[in-house]
Amino acid sequence: MSKKEIKVKNYIIKTAADFFAPIGLILGIYVILHGHLSPGGGFQGGVLVASAAVLIYLGYGYEKATKTLNVNLLKKSESIAALMYSFFALLGIFYAANFCRNVFYNVGKPGDLFSSGTIFLMNFAVGYKVLTGIGFLILLMFGLLNNEEA
Amino acid sequence: MKKFLAYFSITVFLIIGCYVAKDMSKLPSTFDGTKVNVVDLYNNPEKYETNDADGVANIMVKETIDKTHAINAVTAIVFDFRGYDTLGESFVLFTAISGTVVILRNALKGRADKDE
Repeated sequence: MSKKEIKVKNYIIKTAADFFAPIGLILGIYVILHGHLSPGGGFQGGVLVASAAVLIYLGYGYEKATKTLNVNLLKKSESIAALMYSFFALLGIFYAANFCRNVFYNVGKPGDLFSSGTIFLMNFAVGYKVLTGIGFLILLMFGLLNNEEA
Repeated sequence: MKKFLAYFSITVFLIIGCYVAKDMSKLPSTFDGTKVNVVDLYNNPEKYETNDADGVANIMVKETIDKTHAINAVTAIVFDFRGYDTLGESFVLFTAISGTVVILRNALKGRADKDE
């Protein structure tokens, strides 16, 4: 009796995760890429993308979530994104100006996707850092939860 | 050798810091509040003229599109005018995640040993 109830619950959660995970991924990447044009930015979009990891865990369990998302790669790419942000901030010094200077802000018209110079690149770096960091944190905490129950 | 390098770098930092502080003290202050009439602002805030207020905030509000070509003014401030702030914020997140890794790794190891 109890097993049947769990099965029905699983189907509902699985279909919901299948339906909402792609929407969350696409909305998060849109918010990251359009940070300099519309409300939002790197932090918010990164957390939206990381919510897809939660949905995969809820629908398919911890083992499948760690199979689809490589945990070690997430940890490494977070530090790579931190280095990326520092590099884009150091571009000002390479162009003989001060730190965090927006050196090539006039590459396109205001309103284009590739306009506003280093703001776009820094936004992307912060979004990448937040999505990998929060996803890694969520998977780590859910692993502890899984062990406790077993 | 290590000690010498450490002291040398600290002295270089101190000398450059003193030089920059001396240089910056000659610059005009960005906002000293001399042009703000506080009583007038308190009595009728809707009619108060804000066009000639001095300071960095005025530049940030009025010249974001000319200076950064970014339409979203909040992103322009966070990633351009206040780039240092965002750097610190992202490294705070990095430190928090490293701390949780250190704590939760020990917990995970203990749980795995108990299961075996």
